[in-house]
Amino acid sequence: MTAPSRVVLSLRGATKTYGHGTGRVTALANVTVDIEEGRFTAIMGPSGSGKSTLMNLAAGLDDPTSGEVWLAGHGLHLLDEEARTVLRRTHVGFVFQAFNLVPTLTAMENVLLPLALAGRRLTREDDLRVDRLLGELGLDERRHHRPGELSGGQQQRVAIARALAGTPSVVIADEPTGNLDTRSSREVLGLLGSAVESYGQTIVMVSHDPVAASRADRILMITDGRIVGDHPRCTPEEIASLLIELEVGAA
Amino acid sequence: MKTPAVLGSVRQFSTISVVAGISGVYAGFLVTCSAVFAASSTASGTAAVAAILPVVAAVFILIATYVTAVVIVNCIDTVLAGMLHRIALLRLLGGSARSLRSSVARRTTLLATAGAIGGVLVGALAGDVLRIVLVDQGQLTRTADYPWLTWWLVAPVLVSTATTYLAGRIGTGRVLRVAPATAMLGASADPREDHGPAARRRGSWALIGTGALLLVAAMWIGEVGGTALGFLVAFVGAATMSTGLLTGARLVIPAVVAGLGRILGSSPPSLVARRNAVKNPLRTTRSTMGLVVGVTLVTTFACGMDALRRSVDSWETSPAQRQQALSLLSTMTTVLVAVIVVSAVIASVGFVSTMSLTVIERGHEIGLLRALGFTRSQVRRMIVLESAALACSAAGLGIALGLFFGSAGAQSLVGFQTPGFVWGLPALVLAAVASGAVVLVLVASTGPARRAVDVTPVEALRT
Ligand SMILES: Nc1ncnc2c1ncn2[C@@H]1O[C@H](COP(=O)(O)OP(=O)(O)OP(=O)(O)O)[C@@H](O)[C@H]1O
Ligand SMILES: [Mg+2]
Repeated sequence: MTAPSRVVLSLRGATKTYGHGTGRVTALANVTVDIEEGRFTAIMGPSGSGKSTLMNLAAGLDDPTSGEVWLAGHGLHLLDEEARTVLRRTHVGFVFQAFNLVPTLTAMENVLLPLALAGRRLTREDDLRVDRLLGELGLDERRHHRPGELSGGQQQRVAIARALAGTPSVVIADEPTGNLDTRSSREVLGLLGSAVESYGQTIVMVSHDPVAASRADRILMITDGRIVGDHPRCTPEEIASLLIELEVGAA
Repeated sequence: MKTPAVLGSVRQFSTISVVAGISGVYAGFLVTCSAVFAASSTASGTAAVAAILPVVAAVFILIATYVTAVVIVNCIDTVLAGMLHRIALLRLLGGSARSLRSSVARRTTLLATAGAIGGVLVGALAGDVLRIVLVDQGQLTRTADYPWLTWWLVAPVLVSTATTYLAGRIGTGRVLRVAPATAMLGASADPREDHGPAARRRGSWALIGTGALLLVAAMWIGEVGGTALGFLVAFVGAATMSTGLLTGARLVIPAVVAGLGRILGSSPPSLVARRNAVKNPLRTTRSTMGLVVGVTLVTTFACGMDALRRSVDSWETSPAQRQQALSLLSTMTTVLVAVIVVSAVIASVGFVSTMSLTVIERGHEIGLLRALGFTRSQVRRMIVLESAALACSAAGLGIALGLFFGSAGAQSLVGFQTPGFVWGLPALVLAAVASGAVVLVLVASTGPARRAVDVTPVEALRT
């Protein structure tokens, strides 16, 4: 069985628990959700609600305790570690909150790493795309610098260039702007947004920021490991009030 | 805070006890042996020969102590670099850099002293056992008054304590000078390339150049009819060049490792491996310097002796004389190599420990690499390659230097008696060094590699 064609990522009754006995935590409880191709999805929710857990399962970085995850037509539960790694490097691009880059590689080498890992000979198109990406990200001058020589915002932009360079099926971004000031985070969000608009890139992003989430086509609200809201594009004000409702509901 | 928090667990610093212990066994054994031979020769009236033994023993013990000190400095520095966040937190909470430093120095000195005392006692006992066996076989006189333990055994313990204290000061220096804020930002503690002051750099190159010239001169003196002069010049040349190489090690070793690393290729695992091998030039230097010293000494002796053997082979002497000379050379080679190889063993322990600590320190990076698509076997290969780039550079550099020193020494001694240039190629010892390097690479990398891939990427990313 394969998932329907337009759906890139699909969780079926995914549950994740940590620990045993009284110390048992249910980080994700029976979550079923489909992520469609070419859309920008934001995931929001209070701290500890299970957003990162959801992202890790979706990317095959971690196994669900029960339930299934389907990525680009492959059931992750059917694959061994090796096959899953290969699937990850062909179909997933990552942006984490911080420490995204390999410290000993230059910005350029970091960007090209997923392509090198996939064993792809760089075509002219790849070259042009990477060049254009770095240009758009304002990193032309920085391509031979090590991460330690870049500012936090520059590092995140390099991470985004890397995530987009290999045209993965889905980009998974866990609080990509969490460590950035307002201006840098607007830039970073602009980049993600235009990747969706111009190239039909699929992106799933965790964020606490209503302005960031207002760029998304779809907003998933998550509390205590459950999806409690699924909204189409909203204004920052609408998102803020949704978040407040969530807190009031929880109290 | 009244009692300063101690940084680094006893387990993390256990390498210090181990290397101090090995060094102690070695010192205890050599000291006891020289005492035994001194007693024996006093009894049989050949005191003159025995007089140089303690000097030779002292030189070997000091070499081992030096290698041990380098290992200890590196161990402390690496352990502390892996806990920058805790250091920064303690500093923010008001711990002074000085109290943190002395608490670390005190703990490591204690560990080293305990190791050294235990080691010296074991070594002395081994010396006593050897003496009993030799007396029993009639190779040593029965009539001498042999001591079980001599007061001289205290000396290596004191030297070890003093050097460890010094090593503790040096090892803690760089990391504890980091400002609290820098560490909290999570910036890496790895310095930009630091070649030391320019004057020192020039000094090192001058020593290396002068030493090499002296060695060439010694070879020439040896060819045109040398006396003791040739060998003396060779000795001074080798000593000068070694001093230059030791003071300038952080210029030479990272360059060699970087050069060798290029051979590894540019696949992602090789690329990351060779970058990591020279990421922190000072650490690269310290973790391989002892190996270079050990391999150089072993190769120098083996090569020198092999060159002399070839030379003896070409002399016009009676078969009996030749046989006697060759057997003497072979015994001397065995003894010298056995005595000097301990430095290489101590350095190897340090190398294994540094590899393990640095891989643990890179937990997050390895998690990231796996998230990005490094398979388990690529992560393993990356760690093995890094270990190989370091160990093979050290072995290669040591062999090259050893062949140069050894051949130069032999040529300076007997060049005029032998047609052509006297050179030595101790095949057996070189093969042993090469296989030792391979074993070291595997030992140093299998544990860290297994631990690195045993955790899931998510667990690794949390570190
Ligand atoms: N390795 C783990 N062991 C035990 N509990 C864990 C582990 N990882 C996550 N949890 C728990 O699972 C729950 C969800 O964690 P998760 O990291 O997914 O939250 P989050 O929504 O990403 O929070 P934040 O916004 O703070 O990043 C939390 O209660 C957390 O304590
Ligand atoms: Mg999170």
